[in-house]
Parts: sequence; C-alpha cells; structure tokens
Amino acid sequence: MLKRIALLVSLFALAATPAAAQPAPIKIGAILPLTGSGASYGVWMKGGAEMAAEEINAAGGIGGRRLEVIYEDHAADASKAVNAMRRLVEVEKVPFTLTSYSAPTLAIQPIGSQNKVVMMNGGGQSDNLANKDYLYNNIPVVSNEVGVLCDWLTKEKKFKAAVMIVANDEAGRNSAKSFRERFGAGGGKVLAEEQIALDGNDFRAQLAKLKAQGGDLLFISSYGRNVAIVADQARELGITLPMAATSWVQIPEVLKSKGAQGLLTTRLPFNPESAFARKFKERYKTDAGFFAVQYYSGTRIFAAAADAAMKKNAGKLDGEGVKNAIESIKAFDTISGKLVFQPNHAAVMDIEVGVLKGGKVEVEKVIKAAQ
Amino acid sequence: MDLVLQLLATGLVVGSLYALCAIGWGLIYGTTLHFHVAHGAVFALAAYYAYAGQTLLHLPLPVAVVLAIAAAALSGLLIDLLLYQQLERRGAFRTSIFIASLGLLILLENVLAIVFTPDPMRMDIGALNTAVIIGPVFLTYLHILTVALTIVAYGALMLFLKRSRWGQAIRAVSSAPEMARTVGIDLKRVHLLAYAIGSALAAPAGILVAMDVGAEPFRGTRFVLLASVGVIMGGIGSIPGAMLGGVFLGLLENLGIWKLPSEWQSAISFGVFLVFIVLRPRGFFGRTIHSAEI
Repeated sequence: MLKRIALLVSLFALAATPAAAQPAPIKIGAILPLTGSGASYGVWMKGGAEMAAEEINAAGGIGGRRLEVIYEDHAADASKAVNAMRRLVEVEKVPFTLTSYSAPTLAIQPIGSQNKVVMMNGGGQSDNLANKDYLYNNIPVVSNEVGVLCDWLTKEKKFKAAVMIVANDEAGRNSAKSFRERFGAGGGKVLAEEQIALDGNDFRAQLAKLKAQGGDLLFISSYGRNVAIVADQARELGITLPMAATSWVQIPEVLKSKGAQGLLTTRLPFNPESAFARKFKERYKTDAGFFAVQYYSGTRIFAAAADAAMKKNAGKLDGEGVKNAIESIKAFDTISGKLVFQPNHAAVMDIEVGVLKGGKVEVEKVIKAAQ
Repeated sequence: MDLVLQLLATGLVVGSLYALCAIGWGLIYGTTLHFHVAHGAVFALAAYYAYAGQTLLHLPLPVAVVLAIAAAALSGLLIDLLLYQQLERRGAFRTSIFIASLGLLILLENVLAIVFTPDPMRMDIGALNTAVIIGPVFLTYLHILTVALTIVAYGALMLFLKRSRWGQAIRAVSSAPEMARTVGIDLKRVHLLAYAIGSALAAPAGILVAMDVGAEPFRGTRFVLLASVGVIMGGIGSIPGAMLGGVFLGLLENLGIWKLPSEWQSAISFGVFLVFIVLRPRGFFGRTIHSAEI
C-alpha cells in the first residue's frame, strides 16, 4: 500500500514538473507585529508589503521571477522574532526580510548578519538600530524626531518641566533617553519618570505618582495601543497636563482616543490623499497610514536592489548581492520621495510637528530633512 | 498626601478584584483541596461570555453580564464534574489534579486567544466609564461599582455559608470531610456546589476587568496567582481571610510604589508575601496548613 502511494506521489510529482517550469519564486520574509498591542501597525505593514508584491508580480516579477512574501508574527516579542528569523533563514532560505520594532530587530540582526540576510526595518526607531551590519532602516532613528520635538516644545511652546511615562523596552527606553538629553539641552528639566509594561493595561498607579510630581508636560515614551490607555487613564485621574509623543502614536486607537486629543506630536510625512492611500483603502477597507507606505517602499527597495544584484551576478541572487546593491544605489525613488540611506544605514525624512485635534494631526510646521 | 489617597483608592479597586477571585478560589480550595488554577480560565471565560453576549448577541449589558456569570458558574461546575471528579475516581493524587488544572488553564487561554485573538476586546459600558472626583481622588463609576459589588458578594457568601443548609454542608465538608460524609453529606454534590459558587464569584471580577480595559485571554493567570496568594495570606479555609488577603494585596501593590519606582510593583507584593508567610504560616485567620493538604 505504502509503495503504491509512493508511486502515485512520484507520478504526480513528474506530472507537476513541466507545469512548474517557470523559475522558482523569490522568497522574502516580513517579521511584523501581527498580534498584540501593536497589531494596528501590523495591518498597515503587511498590507503595504502585500500591495508592493502584487504590483511587482503583475509587472512581471523580479528578473522574471515571482516575488513571494512570507509573513511572520513577532507580537512585540524578541524571542518570537528570533524563531521567525531562524525559520526564514534555515527553512525558507530568504536573502532578505522586512523587519519591524526595535527589540525584535536588534534580536534578529546577528542572525541576519551571520547568514548574510539583508534586513530592512521600516518601523523600529531605537538609535541602536543604526550602524548595524546587513540592517538598513528606511526610517529615521528616534533621536532625530525627539530632537525636533524637544526644540519645538522648549523654544516655541516654552515647556520647562516634564514628567515621563516610559514603555519598559528598547524603543521606549531609547526614546526616553533622547528626550532627557534634548529636553535638557533646550533648557527644560525632566522631573520624574515611571516605567510601564508594553502589554499592560492599567497604568493608574504610575500616573498617580507622576501627577504628584507636578510639571507642565507629560511625555509618553511608548507606542501601540497602550498610548491610548495612558492618555485616557491620565485624563481619568485628573491629569490636565498637555501630553507629547513621537510619530509612534499615528495609529487609529490613539488618534481616536478621547484622552489623547490635544497631544503635541511629531509625524513623519504621509499623504492620506495619495493614489497609494486610496488604493490601500479600496483593497483593505481601512484607512492607510505611514507604516503602510514604509513597508510598501521597503519591498520596492528590495525589488530594485535584487534586480540590480541579479543583473550584476549573472542572474544569481543572494543576501550579499542585495546588500552591495543597496550600498551602491543608496538613493531610491519611493512613492514618498527620494530615500537616501545615510552612512549609519538609516534614512532621514522631513519631520512634522503638530497638535492632535478631532482625530487628526494639525501640522504647525515641517522641519526639512538634512540629506 | 493626595498621592497616598489616590493610590489607596486605586489599590482598593484592584484589591476588590483580587478579593473576588480569592474568596471564590478559597471556597473551592477549602472545600475540595483542589489547587484549582483553572479558576484563571473561568475568570477569562466569564469576560468573553459577557463580551460575546453584548457584541455578538447584541444583548443589553446587564443581561449579558448576568448570563455570563451563570455560564461561568456552569463552566466551573463542569470542570469539576468532567475533569477533577474523573481523576479522583481513578485515584489520582492531588498533584495530578493540580497539573491537570494547569493544563486546562493553558488550553483554554490559548483557545480563547485563537478564537478572539490575543488583543483586548473592548466592551461598551457607556456612562460607567465617566470619572468621579471625590476630593483629591479620581475614580470611574465602574471602580466604585467594583468595590460595592465585592462587598455585596462577600456579604451574600457569608450569609449563605452561615444560614443556608447547603452553606452549612459546605462548611462541614471544609472543616471535616470524613465526618461530613458519615453524617450523610454527599461530598461530590457539595464539591460541585463549591465550584459553581466559586466560579460565579470569579466571573464578576473577570467581567469588571473586561469592562475597564477589555477582555484578554491571558489575564486570568495573574489573578488566580494573586488569589491563591491572598487565600494563603488570609489563612486557608477562611473566607474573611481570603477577602482581607485579596484587598491587602491590591493595596500593597499600589501603595508599595509610593516611594519606590513602579517597576518594583510585583516584586513588592511577592516579597512581602514571602516574609509574611515565613513569620505567620497560618495567615491572618487560618488553621495550620497540613502537608497533606497541599
């Protein structure tokens, strides 16, 4: 019986071979927050990558080969990201992966570097993500944004004494560190800080402590839906201080949260009226956001680099080739303009500052990127 | 001083939730000697029952809550009937029952995560979410309801245990199971009753947390852990002890960070517990813990 099955299987395989005569697809990974407190980012990231892959395939693929994206969920957990990366490297043998979040990306970077797999991070912003082998960030590091935010807060808005609530992870701590430095450099002072768990949902004790410290500003060094919880619970506890945050808060939960209205925030450029945003909305029945463009662009950058690498290496594609192509092309055309990788492997972008009102950020000012 | 009052109030709310879990868990443990960690799963199930009732079946909130409490009580009863009693019938040790309970907790939590995703499912609680300002203290109506409901549930449970025939049977089984059997009390039925009531007490805690911050699949583990700690602090077999233990833990968790950074929150609770239990192994009001009972 077993033999017969084996025979059938091999016959089937033979029969199937001619149909699969097209070249094997190019597989790349995408390690994203598909569940957990940042699942909203995941919807955009996955959608953006998916749309890019579909468009690339509709236009004939990369060097005649189809592009296939394998999605993995890290749920903001570095160990899950490492497992996903191992699977992508060892089982799927990808030359490239999209990655997201600071701690998960820092955790997978050594694996990527050892196995010569290029990692493109379009979401995580810890400064520690810069200057890493095989890791490219098509997003600015957080100190750029925090610097702009602090200049605005101290020089124009005249804030002097901040209290901080900080997510107890790589991204939260790193942005808090920048804030302490830059707010201090602008003549302000950080009076107190309290740490919170990224997956927590009751921060009232920490907020009550901060409330007792006074100050004139609450800086939220966190991301995902817990920013909305912090904002709502702060207002519930009678904290009337203005609040400030970086572009991490550009997700529906925060923008729509009642407590977060009036938030002073930075934003990275995203045009909700663009052709991309319209197409995204049509395809996914939900509004697009900045991170959708980021992962669309990340996938497009890979396609351009892979195409160049294959042309250079007689059709052969590997991570080293992609890395060399990124290094030599350096400036990529994206739907949000020219993206230039800086010597530290991170991008620079225009940074907007503004106030959240009625679910939308009213931009007050745009600080142009120094390319 | 304002900070202390605020931390006290928040601690009282959190402590009430722990107390609700602890009196239910303590009732079950005192009666059956099962280390029922799947109590945490009942806590989570209740939250999802209420959520499903409101958002999927479109029931009015009070109806969804009452049905969810009944469904949670039934779930607890079925866990005893279909799992623990079967194990006991086959002569399983208490440790096996504990491991089975742990397995069930993990199984149910993961099934909930698959069905509903691990993300919190928010409930619409309308005006209950409005902030109330009492002097320097800020709470929501839901928080005040939490404390009030805990006091009512505790009073009702004590009255039931003291006055009703079934309540007396539970107390009899709890203090001397062999004696209770010889006077003709059906142990299995008393166990089922303890599971139903204990689960009906965990249910409002699960639902109140879901109303505050959303239903989440893995939230119950921490609550059952703190409930068992509360019961041991209060003294095994003592419902007033469990109530006090639960409230004490909530207060400790919040007041503990008055002078210490907040990342110490859990370390404070469990550190104090360890010191307490070494100095006073019987807890506030409890009888001596016999090795056979654990």
